Parts: sequence; structure tokens; C-alpha cells
Amino acid sequence: MPITERIVPQGTILDVVGDLTYANRAVFKAAVEKVKQSGCRHLMVNLEQVRFVDSAGLGLLVLVSQSFKLVQAQVSLLKPQSYVREIMSLSNIPKMIPIYETEEDAFTARAA
Amino acid sequence: MMHSSPMTHIEEASSLSPEFETPARTILLIEDEPVTRASMGGRLTRLGYRVLEAENGLVGLDVARRVRPDLLIVDWMMPEMDGPTFCEAVRRDPLLKSSQILLMTAHDTPAQIAEGLARGADDFLSKAASKQEIIARVQAGLRTSRLVRELETAGAQLASSMRLLQVKQVEMEADLQSAATFVHSLLPPQGNPVRGIAMAWEYQPSLLLGGDLFGVMAIDANNLGLYILDASGHGVAAALRSAAVMTFLRADNILQLFGSYDPAQVLFEANRRFPLSAEGEYFTLWVGHLHLPTGSLSYASAGHSGTLLSSAESPSRWLTHASFPLGFDPSAQYTGERVSLKPADRLFLLSDGIYEVSSPTGDVWGRARFQAVVDAGKRTSLSATIASCYSAARDWQQAQHFPDDAAVVGIELIGRLEETCHG
Repeated sequence: MPITERIVPQGTILDVVGDLTYANRAVFKAAVEKVKQSGCRHLMVNLEQVRFVDSAGLGLLVLVSQSFKLVQAQVSLLKPQSYVREIMSLSNIPKMIPIYETEEDAFTARAA
Repeated sequence: MMHSSPMTHIEEASSLSPEFETPARTILLIEDEPVTRASMGGRLTRLGYRVLEAENGLVGLDVARRVRPDLLIVDWMMPEMDGPTFCEAVRRDPLLKSSQILLMTAHDTPAQIAEGLARGADDFLSKAASKQEIIARVQAGLRTSRLVRELETAGAQLASSMRLLQVKQVEMEADLQSAATFVHSLLPPQGNPVRGIAMAWEYQPSLLLGGDLFGVMAIDANNLGLYILDASGHGVAAALRSAAVMTFLRADNILQLFGSYDPAQVLFEANRRFPLSAEGEYFTLWVGHLHLPTGSLSYASAGHSGTLLSSAESPSRWLTHASFPLGFDPSAQYTGERVSLKPADRLFLLSDGIYEVSSPTGDVWGRARFQAVVDAGKRTSLSATIASCYSAARDWQQAQHFPDDAAVVGIELIGRLEETCHG
């Protein structure tokens, strides 16, 4: 599961490619921890290239979101595909982690 | 002289041990010609090596097997067994095959060197070699010998560790099998949990021990409690956590806590008791309560993908709604919903592992395809419909083994409700 880190003025974007699942959780955790250690205030996880998120992947996203909130930072999700969005909706994830269709929307919402 | 007699006598090392070669390493010198043997043996002894001597290859093999020297120096031309034949015998011998052999020759022509190497020698030593060359070649041979011995020791230790691990593995698998048998015993027996209800299920844990569990329990003659629990992750940790939730969900426990089997209340309490773990592990849970005399099913979901209601007269539909899984939000409220079931209606409780399987190209089978298989199986038996679901999922992923726990429980209302419950 390749993860690319992009630093933008409004925070850090992680472009995730592949499935976010139990098998890949260590790679994702390591990438997020690196961003967190850098003092990032707004982590945006770009799911545009993610076809599938299993229950372990969802748990990881919630855990990451909670850990960022503890240090007054925020996690946002970008552009989930329809199947991933359906899974997230069933678990009420959008009520816990903001989901945006564009990077600009995420920047604006954070700034507001 | 120490190195000259008797032929198989083990000589003591002299006090002139060469640098980096302490304690004295043992060299077996096999040479039929007494003068050459005495000369070379003396040189080696003076260099600090412990020297053993043998007059031909046959005697040399015997000594080598008993002592396992660090280095063998063997003359090419000898009676009884010559040097190359000795090399071949050493390479065939399981005890000696990794020995380092220096083959001594008077005429080290390229053809002779090639033959010697081909027949098992590691290096050559000219009988006319200078003291410096002898030291260099002997030390090189001993260095290799030491590395080979270290490798052999490490290999033996590794083999010993492997045997120990295999024993532990067998013990652990026996423990896991025992735990799996226990968890399996917690699952409801196939057949009729109460009069008027038929049930069939299939469960394929991704590992020996699964984390997804389900229950169908007769609360009393008129009420049926049912749930399906989906643990994030799998394996022993997930199974242990699931077993704890399963204990909580037992009908007698819930009745003792609340006085009734109210799905929303069950989820509220479960959410309080089972928070998100430090590793991000949690449960989704669907709980139902079926009142048999009326066919009224009340249910609530905690982030679960839902139970499928398959009705003979209308399209199937999912009984679920968006909600937090257990532990996501400690203050989460869960709402119950109600639906009326009719005779011949079927409920399919399932874990996401049955439909979250990917084709070789990465496409997920999905809930809709699962639903289509159930719809197509309305006229077949419950167990046949469930078998079709597994078969279709396996065909999709083109593999027998499921990457996640996969459970499907089918429940069917048989006969007229009032009659089945009261008559």
C-alpha cells in the first residue's frame, strides 16, 4: 500500500493507494505517526485511490482521528470512492471525521 | 620427534602458537614418505599447531573420523589410498564432508590442480613451498575451517531451536484447537431453536479461531433473541474479545440486567462496556428480538452492515441504519426499529467477511451480489441458500479460503405464527 506524503500550507496530505485493511495497518500507522510527530495540525487522508476499507481500516481511521483531537489537531478524509463511502456511512464515520470532495474544501473548512 | 611416531599419535602443540591461532588447531598430515612427513610435521609443530600423522589415506580417514581435525593436509601419491581418492572419500562421509583439505603435490600442473579440485580438494600445497607460503595456505585453510565449523554450530543450534519451536507450535495449535472447540460450542446448534423457527448456519473463520460470533437464543417459548457480532481484525485476540461480548449477550445475563431483551438497550450497554481498544479494535453488532406470536421483530444496529430480510412476496431488504460501532463514541445512542415478519419469511444474519471478498482484479463482491444470491434461492432450503452464498463468494474471489471470518445464519419462520407458538 504506497502512501505519499504531501506537505501543503494548510497541513499534510497522505495520498493512499490500495486497500486500507487489517493487513496494511502497520504501513498506514507508520505514515500517520510520522506526520503527527512533525507537529502537523491538519492531516488529510486522500482516499481517492483506495478501493476498499475493511473494519480494521475504519477502526484505525477513528483511532487516528481521536489521537489528533487530543492534541487539538484534525483529521479529514478526501474523496472516498462510492463503496468506501457506503461502508463509512453505515458506521457513521462522517459524523466523526469530516469528508471532503476536494482539497480546497478541506482547506476552507479548516480555516473557517 | 613429536611429529614422527607413532603414525596416529596425537602430538601436543608447541609453545610457538601463531598469532590468532590459539588454542592450537589440529592438523592431520597424511603422507607416506617418512622424510617429507617428518619435515612438514616439524614445520607445522614449530608453528604452534597440534599435528597428527598418518601414512596413507586409509589410516588418515580413520584418524579423521575419530578426531575431526581442523585441517587435512594430504599427499597426492600414496599407497593404499591416494590423495584424490581420500578427498572423494571425505566428501562422501557425512561426518567429514565439510573438512578443509590441502592437497600436497610435487608437480602442481594446471591439469593436476583441476583434477584435485574436481575430486574434492580445497587448495594445493607444493612440497617445495616456502615457509611463508605454507603458513599462508595453512592459515587460509584454518580460517575457512573455523567459518565452516561456526556455520555448522549455528546450523545445529538453529535445528535445535526449530525442533523446540515445532514442539511449541504443536502445543499452541492444540491450545487453539481446544479454544476453537470451546467457541464453537457457544454457537447455537443447527435445527430449531424454538418451535416454529428453522435455523441453519455456516461459519468459516479466517484462522482456526474466529472473531465473528452469533447467537440465536430462546428467551422463552414466545421470544427469540438473536445477534451477530463482527470483530474488527481476527485471530486469537479478536476471538477472546468476542467471547467476552458473547458472554455479555447471553439471554439470561441481559434479562438479569434489564428485565427484557431490548436491542437498543443492549447496544447502549455494550457500547459502554466495550470501548475502542488502543489498537483501534472494536465490534459491530446487530441485535434482534423476535416476538413469535405476532412475528414482530425489533432490532438495533451498532455500525453493522445489517441483516437481510427475505420475504416470499416482496424484494429482500436490509434491516439496518447508520450508527456508530461499539466503542467509537461513548455517548452514542442507539435506536430500535420494528418490522413484522410473516410465515416463510427468512432472516439472514451475516458478517462482512462473506461479501467483502475481492476478485483477482480487486473488485469487491459486495452486499448487493450477496442479496442477489439470497433472492435467487427463495425456493431452495435455508442451508442450500447459504451454501450458494459461500459458493458464489468463493467463485468471485477464486479461492476457497476467506481472508476474514465469514458467517451466515439463516432463520425461517415456518407455519402460521399463532399455531406454531400455541399449538
